[in-house]
Amino acid sequence: MDDRFAWAGPPPAEVPPEPPKRIPLEIPWISWFVLAVLLLGCLCPVLPKDPAYMDLAHTSLPPSRAFWFGTDAMGRDIFSMIWYGGRISLFTGFAAAAVSTLAGIVFGAASGFAPRWADALLMRLTEILLSIPGLLLILLLQGTLGKPNVVSLSLVIGATGWTGIAKVVRTEVLRLRESGFVAAAQCMGGGFFHILRRHLAPNLLPSILFMVVMNVRSAILTESTLSFLGLGLPLEVISWGSMLSLAETALLSGAWWMILIPGGFLTAALLCVTSIGSGLRRWLNREQSNL
Amino acid sequence: MAEILLDVQEVSCRFPMPGRTVLRAVDGVSFQIRRGEVFGLVGESGSGKSTLARCIMNLCRPSAGKIFYQGIDIWDKKQFRENRKRLQTARQIIFQDSTSSLNQRMKAADIIAEPMVIHGVTPPRGSWRAEAAFQLHYVGLDASYLDKYPPELSGGMRQRVAIARALSMEPEFLVADEPVSSLDVSIQAQILNLFRHLQEEHGFTFLFIAHDLPVIRYLCDRVAVMYRGKIVELAPAETLFADPRHSYTRALLASVPLPDPRRERARKPVEFGEFSTAGTLRELAPEHFVLTEGCG
Repeated sequence: MDDRFAWAGPPPAEVPPEPPKRIPLEIPWISWFVLAVLLLGCLCPVLPKDPAYMDLAHTSLPPSRAFWFGTDAMGRDIFSMIWYGGRISLFTGFAAAAVSTLAGIVFGAASGFAPRWADALLMRLTEILLSIPGLLLILLLQGTLGKPNVVSLSLVIGATGWTGIAKVVRTEVLRLRESGFVAAAQCMGGGFFHILRRHLAPNLLPSILFMVVMNVRSAILTESTLSFLGLGLPLEVISWGSMLSLAETALLSGAWWMILIPGGFLTAALLCVTSIGSGLRRWLNREQSNL
Repeated sequence: MAEILLDVQEVSCRFPMPGRTVLRAVDGVSFQIRRGEVFGLVGESGSGKSTLARCIMNLCRPSAGKIFYQGIDIWDKKQFRENRKRLQTARQIIFQDSTSSLNQRMKAADIIAEPMVIHGVTPPRGSWRAEAAFQLHYVGLDASYLDKYPPELSGGMRQRVAIARALSMEPEFLVADEPVSSLDVSIQAQILNLFRHLQEEHGFTFLFIAHDLPVIRYLCDRVAVMYRGKIVELAPAETLFADPRHSYTRALLASVPLPDPRRERARKPVEFGEFSTAGTLRELAPEHFVLTEGCG
C-alpha cells in the first residue's frame, strides 16, 4: 500500500525521543531561593527544641545563644516555632490556593460552556458572593464547619477566594470555545473534562497564573489575619499568624523579637510569592508574544 | 449504485438576528452522499456551506430536517448516544483555518494522537508517539516535526498536521471545510494531491467544501452549488461544468478567470445581481438536479 507514497519516502524506522523541557531564563532567582530555604526549613523534621514545650523558667527572653530568636511569653522557643509554624502557614496558603483555583476553573468553565440563562445565573451567584465581605463569609463558613483545624481553614479560605479566577476563566472560555480546536475536540468526542484539561486549562494558564500565585499570598495573609484576631487556628496550633496574635501584649512589654521575627518571615514569604508571580507573568507574556 | 452514507433531508438552520429578523443560513437542503465519492459543495461566502458542515458534524443543531449517517439519525439524542463512539470515530472534519483549529500549546505529536487518546485506542505501532510519526509521514512531513508547536509551522504544514489528526482515527467519512482556501497556490496543489492519494488509497468518502471552482473540478465526483442557504444545482462534476442550468451556476462559472490574459480582458464582466431561489429541486437530466420554478 505504500508504493503510492514513494514520494514521501520510507516511513521512519526510529522516532526521535522527546527533547527535554525548556527552562525559563528570566526568573527571580533570589525569590525562588529564599522561598526554597523557607520551605526546606519548614519541612525539616529536626528542630533544636520542641516548639510546643513551655519552658516557664525562661519566658520572654530576648534572642541569645540558647534561644536564637528568643522565647515568647509562655517560654516557647521562637526559632523552633518559626519553622514549625511556617509549615502550617505555607500549607494553608498553598492548599487554599489550590482549592480556589480548582473551584474557579471548574465553575468558570462550566459557566462559559453553559447556555445563556445558566451562565447568567451562575455569574449573578458569584457577584452575590463577591458582595459579601470576605472575612464575614469565612467566619460564617467556619462556623458551620465547627472548630477550625488546618484542613477546614484551608477549605474555607479557598472556598471564598475563587470568584475572581472564575470570572477570568469564564471570559477566556467564551473566547476559546469559538476556536476551531475546541470544536475539533468536540467532534472527536472529547468530553467536558477532556477539553478542560487538554485545551482550556493550558490556554487559560497564562491569564490566571498570576491570580493563582496572588491567591497563595492572600491565603497566607488571610490565615495570619484570622489567627491574629483569634478567629482562626487555636492558640496551641502554632502558625505565623497565631504567633503574631501575641504581638499586642509583646508591644506593651517591649519584646520586639516576638513581633519582628514572625512578621519578618511572613513578609519575606509574601514578597517571594509576589515576585515569583510577576516573574511568571512576565515570562508567560514573553513566551506568548514569541509564538 | 453505491450505498448511501450520508442522507441530508430538508435541513434548515436559522439564527435569530437582532431586530426580530431571522437569518436562514441553511434553508431546506437535501442531498445524499454515496460511499466512496467526493462530494463537492460550492458557493459564495455566507451561502451556508460551513453551517451545513457543522450540522453534519453535530456541532450546530439544525432548526428543522434530519440528517442520517448510515441510517442513524445523528440529531436524535437516543440514537446518537447509542452510536456515539462509531459516529465520532467514523466522521472527521478538517477546518479551514489551521491556525485556530490546532491548539497552540500542544505539540504536533500530541495533536495527532489526541483522537486516539480520547477513544483509548491501543496504539498499533507501539506508542502514540510512533503512531503520530507514522501519520505525519503519511501526509508528507518527517518525524522532526513531532515536537513542533503549531506556531512554529508554516500554513501548509499546519494544514497537514490537521489532516494527519483527522486521518489518525482512520475515518470513513471526511468533511473538509475549505481545507485549502487559506493556503497559497503551490501548497494548495500539494494538499489537493494528498487528498487525491488518500481518497484513492483508502476510498474515503469526502464532503469537500470550497469556493474555488477549479479545485472542485479537479477533485470532486458530484457537485452541489449553494446560494443563500439553498442548493440551486446538483450534478456530476463534468456535467455541471459542461452544462450549467441555473443562472447562479452560470454566473459562478463565468466568473472564473481565464488563463489567457487577452481573452480574459476581452470578456464581458459577469453581472452578479439577485438570483432566484424560488422553486424546487428537479431532476432535469439523469443525475442533474436544478432548482426550477413552476413545472419546468
